[in-house]
Amino acid sequence: MNPAKDTSPGEDPRPAAGADRGTGAGPAPVLLEMRSITKTFPGVTALADVNLAVRTGEIHAICGENGAGKSTLMKVLSGVHPHGTYSGEIVYRGEEVAFGDIRASENAGIVIIHQELALVPGMSITENVFLGNEPRRGGAIDWKRARQRVLELMEQVGLKEDPDAFVSDIGVGKQQLVEIAKAFAKDVKLLILDEPTAALNETDSRHLLDLLREFKRQGITSIMISHKLNEIAAVADSITILRDGRTIETLDVQDGGVDEDRIVRGMVGRELSGRFPDHESAIGEVFFEVRDWTVRHPVSAERLVCRNSGFTVRRGEIVGFAGLMGAGRTELAMSLFGRSYGVWEGGHVFKDGKEIQVKTVADAIKHGMAYVSEDRKAIGLNLLDDIKSSVVAAKLSKIVRRGVIDKVRERKVADEYRQSLRIKTPTVDEGVTKLSGGNQQKVVLAKWMFTDPDLLILDEPTRGIDVGAKYEIYGIIQRLADQGKGVIVISSELPELIGLCDRIYTVFEGTITGEVPRGEADPEVLMKQMTSTKKTATP
Amino acid sequence: MSRYQELKKNLFGGTTSNARQFGMIFTLVAIVLLFQVLTDGLTLTSGNLIAVVSQYSYILILAVGMLMVIVAGHIDLSVGSVAAFTGIVVAKAMQEHDLPWPAAIVFGLLVGAAIGAWQGFWVAYAGVPAFIVTLAGMLLFRGANQYVGNADTVPVPEGFRKIGAGFLPEVGPDTGYNNPTLLLGVAACVAVVWREWRARQVRQQMDADLTPLWVSGIRLAVMLGVVIFATLRFAGGRVGTSLPISGIILAALVIAYSFYTRNAAGGRHIYAVGGNARAAELSGVKLRRVNFLVMTNMGVLAALAGMIFVARSAASGPQDGLSWELDAIAAVFIGGAAVSGGLGTVSGSIVGGLVMALLNNGLQLEGVGSDRVQMIKGLVLLLAAALDVYNNKQGRFSVIGSIMRPFRRDNGSAPPDAASSPSSEADPADKTDKTDKATATG
Amino acid sequence: MRSLFTKTLAVGAAAVLALSAASCGNDREGSGGGDDKGKGFAKDSLIGVALPAKTSENWVLAGDLFTSGLKQAGFKPDVQYAGASTTVADQQAQISSMVTKGAKVIVIGATDAAQLSTQVAQAKQSGAIVIAYDRLITNTKDIDYYIAFDNFKVGQLQGQALLDGMKAKKPKGPWTIELFSGSPDDNNSAVFFDGAMSVLKPQIDKGEVKVGSGQTDIKQTAIQGWKAEGAQQRMDSLLTSTYSKKSVDGVLSPNDTLARAILTSVKGAGKPLPVVTGQDSEVESVKSIMAGEQYSTINKDTRKLVAETVNMVKALQGGGKPQINDTKSYNNGAKVVPSFLLPPVIVTKKNAAEAYATDPKLSPLTK
Repeated sequence: MNPAKDTSPGEDPRPAAGADRGTGAGPAPVLLEMRSITKTFPGVTALADVNLAVRTGEIHAICGENGAGKSTLMKVLSGVHPHGTYSGEIVYRGEEVAFGDIRASENAGIVIIHQELALVPGMSITENVFLGNEPRRGGAIDWKRARQRVLELMEQVGLKEDPDAFVSDIGVGKQQLVEIAKAFAKDVKLLILDEPTAALNETDSRHLLDLLREFKRQGITSIMISHKLNEIAAVADSITILRDGRTIETLDVQDGGVDEDRIVRGMVGRELSGRFPDHESAIGEVFFEVRDWTVRHPVSAERLVCRNSGFTVRRGEIVGFAGLMGAGRTELAMSLFGRSYGVWEGGHVFKDGKEIQVKTVADAIKHGMAYVSEDRKAIGLNLLDDIKSSVVAAKLSKIVRRGVIDKVRERKVADEYRQSLRIKTPTVDEGVTKLSGGNQQKVVLAKWMFTDPDLLILDEPTRGIDVGAKYEIYGIIQRLADQGKGVIVISSELPELIGLCDRIYTVFEGTITGEVPRGEADPEVLMKQMTSTKKTATP
Repeated sequence: MSRYQELKKNLFGGTTSNARQFGMIFTLVAIVLLFQVLTDGLTLTSGNLIAVVSQYSYILILAVGMLMVIVAGHIDLSVGSVAAFTGIVVAKAMQEHDLPWPAAIVFGLLVGAAIGAWQGFWVAYAGVPAFIVTLAGMLLFRGANQYVGNADTVPVPEGFRKIGAGFLPEVGPDTGYNNPTLLLGVAACVAVVWREWRARQVRQQMDADLTPLWVSGIRLAVMLGVVIFATLRFAGGRVGTSLPISGIILAALVIAYSFYTRNAAGGRHIYAVGGNARAAELSGVKLRRVNFLVMTNMGVLAALAGMIFVARSAASGPQDGLSWELDAIAAVFIGGAAVSGGLGTVSGSIVGGLVMALLNNGLQLEGVGSDRVQMIKGLVLLLAAALDVYNNKQGRFSVIGSIMRPFRRDNGSAPPDAASSPSSEADPADKTDKTDKATATG
Repeated sequence: MRSLFTKTLAVGAAAVLALSAASCGNDREGSGGGDDKGKGFAKDSLIGVALPAKTSENWVLAGDLFTSGLKQAGFKPDVQYAGASTTVADQQAQISSMVTKGAKVIVIGATDAAQLSTQVAQAKQSGAIVIAYDRLITNTKDIDYYIAFDNFKVGQLQGQALLDGMKAKKPKGPWTIELFSGSPDDNNSAVFFDGAMSVLKPQIDKGEVKVGSGQTDIKQTAIQGWKAEGAQQRMDSLLTSTYSKKSVDGVLSPNDTLARAILTSVKGAGKPLPVVTGQDSEVESVKSIMAGEQYSTINKDTRKLVAETVNMVKALQGGGKPQINDTKSYNNGAKVVPSFLLPPVIVTKKNAAEAYATDPKLSPLTK
């Protein structure tokens, strides 16, 4: 976290980028070409005649909405879908290749790094880097060589950490670097990163993007799949856009004229007039207030994750919480929601002027609070459930008569939400895993709307959701506010907060460092307050 | 295909673990028919069916409790020891303290509840994994059984034996059948018809797609056929025999617990806890209470199973309850439950238990030794799981697939063809990739 | 798929209906019982033999002999062993199956003699004759005969052999001994033990013989399930607790499996070998006796016992009364069971060759 370097990645690299990108000596040779790839699953065509050409030494971005076929294409490339299960050809380093499995593609120097890391938390960095690829002497692992090599690799990826540290003890950003070091240990020629910055904070994201440019200088070719268009616009040399399993276009960034809007147009097939629905807030009086909220970390007792935090929410108001990853926003929200996180040290919650006791989740629900978690799959939903039982899960009592669930009402309720939130599914009997991210998020929203909350806390409500669905979620949030509910939105995407919220609190290291009203919010102001302990004057 | 799936869904309700359950019902029918032929019709004689029910009712009762324990994401290894301990305590109470047998049954259930609560406390409130708690319980209560019983065999009085070895009385006119059993059969037929009618009504109220009439018709015909057949068989045994009392207890429990797990809020909570404990907690489910109650309930059912066995054996012995936990757990898994919790049904577990029971019985009738019977049962368990994995590779829904997904890397050790992930059935595009991965982060 | 499925279903439904129809004829019959006992039964009838788990050579041998013996006599034998871990439940199920199959005589070597009364009653009601083999089934009126070696005698012989052996080794007392007894769920364990104690007790009272650990109660000496590891564990702890300085002169062991476990334990502790008794004439123990380690065993010739049992079945088949030689001693808690008892023979190194002369497996070992 270096405040001196604080310029958002969206604008930072422009001047420098030209130098990086222009090799000056004409187009580099093509490293990889995928021609007319068609891949069908029973009943569905996932890829139809897709073409992709990646030049040696470039950063090639693949964009597309969820379901456009990006990951399927990468699975074809890496041999997850082996040769023979698709049609079309792959030419790699001038030869046609037919990978039968992942090992084959890895041997050829193609390595995929997935969004969620494939690391063993209880093993050291060194062990993880060489997992499945251990340097051996005789039958035993040659730890001496492993150590030398891991130091080189860590240097190469810019990871400053004890190689014996457990992966579970280092941050997500560093874990990502371990994953990349692991790829390098396999002598990678083509590095594929699937949503590499999705879980990273701004600083780590910036570091990772810098690293990609550094690899480019070293001649390593990268393919990057990302939803973060600003990052793509910043680092990519070429951009291939997929839509509905087809190649739409390949943009050459060098030619100019490629910005986020241009990419979005390609992805959705239309100009999005605005990223946010028009909305006129009708804000009422303060009805929810938190004072001196202090919470200790559940494991390391000396750490305070919330320090004397206080804030207010008015009826009909959308309040944003901005902060870097690890600033304590989620911790604040979850500890408020029935003390679901950490150890409560002190603080008061007032609703409608009266202090309320919220010691359990049941209390919180009773007092009209709802918390939509940032990680809907890990803690927001039971992935084994179907839609209808997910929707009613947080307030079963509403459809229970004498201990027995009224299944007719359950289904009717779920169906109403399906229609009003436009959840795309044939029936509410469908399992939630069959929904896309955006539709899953709508199910979670429905689940909490069903509890009749007065205050909704939405933690990263649009993470991992494609552009179109985001727009719909924004609309739902605004409608909730219009019904007189207070809505708290926690987000790492500053434009989202600025576009959506009536007021934004900034959080840094567990403390609320500022409060910015709608008119004054811009990324620079927020970023400054998100990275400094000094409390700026509240308006 | 679509009709096949429609039928599959309609015949056995709409929940997720039904694929395997469906297969298991067919396996069960196949086993019955196979042995019916091999044993020249002995398998489906009244005498044999009555014997099978009274031999396995206590295991099936354990399976009912075990199902809930496993759905909640735990396991209980102590059931056999708890059953044995309760058995000896109850037997001693009657023999040495002259406790009347009805009071002894109540006393036994209380002992079971107390043991269950003890284990539930450690699991739910102390947070010790159930595997460890019940492993400890297995030793603890096995030892306690020998301590109390001095490894003796303690006989129980005649009245008590009714719950394990008793039959319905012979009353009413001579119809050539056991009349109370006939009445139960009639009641079961009425219940089957009513349930089908009611289910249709509910679907209608839900505005859901109505089960096609022909499906309802076939389902009714099959179920009525089975009920009538079973009734006549159980009622038509040797004079003095009928549907065993233990079988009636089992049926009552199965009906009650099926209803509870499917329709009661408490039952729903068990599935929520097993499916995603953290999500359940954040939805206001009282995690600890659910875990506590599930373990306590298991204790009560283990006690009941123990007493039924003692009643059937006419005595409590030091070898009671050995390996019962394994039979109960196998029944639950064969019946389609997931190792990691959140999936499984009471009826599925009963079907799984019956598969094992009839296999055992058929092989015994064939004179196959218990050594080979054990080998065959082991293979059946493995096969049931393997079939599920096979289905998974075919791209259908798979229980094991959904369990194993979190442990699978797309580029790692997974077999290449497994990567066409199970959930891609509906949505093979990379929409579902997120789903696959997300479970890995948790 | 669909048509196949529909067909399967149709066939299934038809089958169910057909079965339902077929089941209209029921197999109700009056409760049989022993009224027709005297009339005998068909020469090729099914004879059920339910034996405990295959934990000792003897049961395996008995099973083989029953199969061949019954076959030779023209019967259809159905010999079943209980499973290794679920013995009681298995045996209960096996007996029920034999009843279902219509066995005319059921020979039961019980795993737990007190937990079979329901099945025995079931067998009785179906008209089968029940013979308790080697172990007396208790608390039931429904068994007809008991056939076994005289187990009290076995105990007496063991006790005497122990005294003789110790005298031979160390002419003058007092001698220090330890006592082991069999599985508490086996009715015979107490009989063996009582038999042995009837010989040893007077010596103990006289002070000639001392039980080093003081553990003389059958509950302290019992080895659950006749398991070798149990005996070895108990002996290990005895050696540690009582014999760290002195040595033990003799150990009363109820059978050969336990005897060898006891010897293994003593050898492991590096102590001089005590005089150890045994029973069953297992191959390893006969070798051990010939090598001078185990002192004695009992020859309860399984061949004879099985042969006598088969004779009993033959007699019953013809409608006659089988030979019995004891109508007083064996009260199982519900009735006095007519018994046929065979005399056991004590075997030491001295008389081994003679005792096993007719045994094809053992006689070579004694030469």
